Amino acid sequence: MINAMMALGLNFITGVANQFSLGSAGFIALGAYTSAVLTKEFFHAWYLIPLTALIGASVSGLAGYLVSIPSFRLKGDYLAIVTMGFAEIVRVIFLNWNYVGAARGYNGIMKWPDFSWAYFVTGSFLILTFTILYHLKISCFGRNLWALNEDEIAAEVMGTPVARSKRTAFMISSFFSGLAGAMYAHHLGYISPGSFGFLMTVNVLIISVLGGLGSMSGSVIAAAILTALPEVLRSLPTGDIDIRMIVFPILLILMMILRPQGLFGRKEIWDTK
Amino acid sequence: MSDFANNIKNTALLEIKNLNLSFGGIKAVQNVSFDLKENELLGLIGPNGAGKTTVFNMISGFYRADSGDILFQSKNVVKKINDLKPDAVNKIGIARTFQNIRLFGQLSVLDNVQLALQQRAPIAWFDSIFRTKKYLQTELDLKNESLELLKIFSLDVLSNEKASQLSYGLQRKLEIVRALATKPKLLILDEPAAGMNQTETDDLKKLILFIKDHFNLTVLLIEHDMKFVMSICERIVVLNRGEKIADGTPTEIKKNNSVIEAYLGKRSVANV
Repeated sequence: MINAMMALGLNFITGVANQFSLGSAGFIALGAYTSAVLTKEFFHAWYLIPLTALIGASVSGLAGYLVSIPSFRLKGDYLAIVTMGFAEIVRVIFLNWNYVGAARGYNGIMKWPDFSWAYFVTGSFLILTFTILYHLKISCFGRNLWALNEDEIAAEVMGTPVARSKRTAFMISSFFSGLAGAMYAHHLGYISPGSFGFLMTVNVLIISVLGGLGSMSGSVIAAAILTALPEVLRSLPTGDIDIRMIVFPILLILMMILRPQGLFGRKEIWDTK
Repeated sequence: MSDFANNIKNTALLEIKNLNLSFGGIKAVQNVSFDLKENELLGLIGPNGAGKTTVFNMISGFYRADSGDILFQSKNVVKKINDLKPDAVNKIGIARTFQNIRLFGQLSVLDNVQLALQQRAPIAWFDSIFRTKKYLQTELDLKNESLELLKIFSLDVLSNEKASQLSYGLQRKLEIVRALATKPKLLILDEPAAGMNQTETDDLKKLILFIKDHFNLTVLLIEHDMKFVMSICERIVVLNRGEKIADGTPTEIKKNNSVIEAYLGKRSVANV
């Protein structure tokens, strides 16, 4: 579920608006650390986690907005590198900041009292994320993004506020990445800068691409598959040899050859045409 | 006071004054001035590299002129539009099409038009996230308005097709419809007849004359196809090497020596 949220956040900016961002992990980390610190140092109450999570998400969204102002002067690969750089900066800051445990990681984050609460709140947030992003995708705002995705110059000539739409989309995307990060922190109870490395961004990106860039339901389904698949493969009767990490990439490669547009392309699972 | 108001009414819709732009050492446009009266159909022609598209791009906000003014009259107020961004230029009433068609290929025909229309009716996020009544109503209105517009050009039957699946001629048409959907006063067409056969060109001619009357538009046209330009334009401005060399009715232009020179070279002038 957390993976699905992370992927949804990224999918909105990369899939719908076609702005290739590799900064996911940075925003996830911001959300995670903010919410973790708030609960541990200030609130001390598990039932306030949804609130701190939203604050964490807002911090992340604000950071996203600030980052987007200079970086959306760039396009394509260059944008990807800048956002990647941002994620790296965030990671390095947390790595050297003693207050949040620096390289040791941040321990003893408030956790949910039991699993049903965890599932209930995370699930609700996932539904919220999904609904909001899906509604935005099919709205006027979404149509602006699709248009600038297809042809920025034409969109601009048609009166679309291109720069503003991109910034807004990036802010929304980082907001939900941050929210996912907060859920992640409270789920594990321990976070360290190491877990927010580039690998996390790649994982999130794989989910988005596999589900179909621009397909919100695709992201959710791909997240479910990609989270469950390693566990299913674990039970393969292969004796002592661990072939999981061989089968898994092969499946991914096959998938990309057979359906390069992802599971659903741009469509949602319920779209008929 | 009334004199002043009258004055403004009589001034041109678009006025271009002493426009200059160079790319590095190349002077792409030098001291070009011309104007466009309301409801006029003006053709801008010239050999390759004469600076036609550069002038277009300056008007529509993609290039910034080194010096000179672009004045546009909107709501009886003359505005300098040199420094506006393309989306702002569109908002004050100038729409354009492109030499190479730039539709949103993966979007439906309807969405292409609706995108252009919706810029006039912005909807708050709040409304789109919660799908309020206001949002649904606006969307429905936009959709109906788009369909009506498409119907005028009998494109409504294709409204659910992807734009990229239309034929070349229809794509051109759709691009013009999309530009119209932004409700412009001035429509700029960049080589609309490029790559068209004779029948398609004839249709296009009818289409341009039709929209000019029906939507009460002023049209600025860049074109290579001489026959097309001569038959449709009321007035023609000729550019060569970044400079304006002639300005007049099609008949005047046909006789103009420097125009013939620019197109055919000096010798043929001697032969005439």
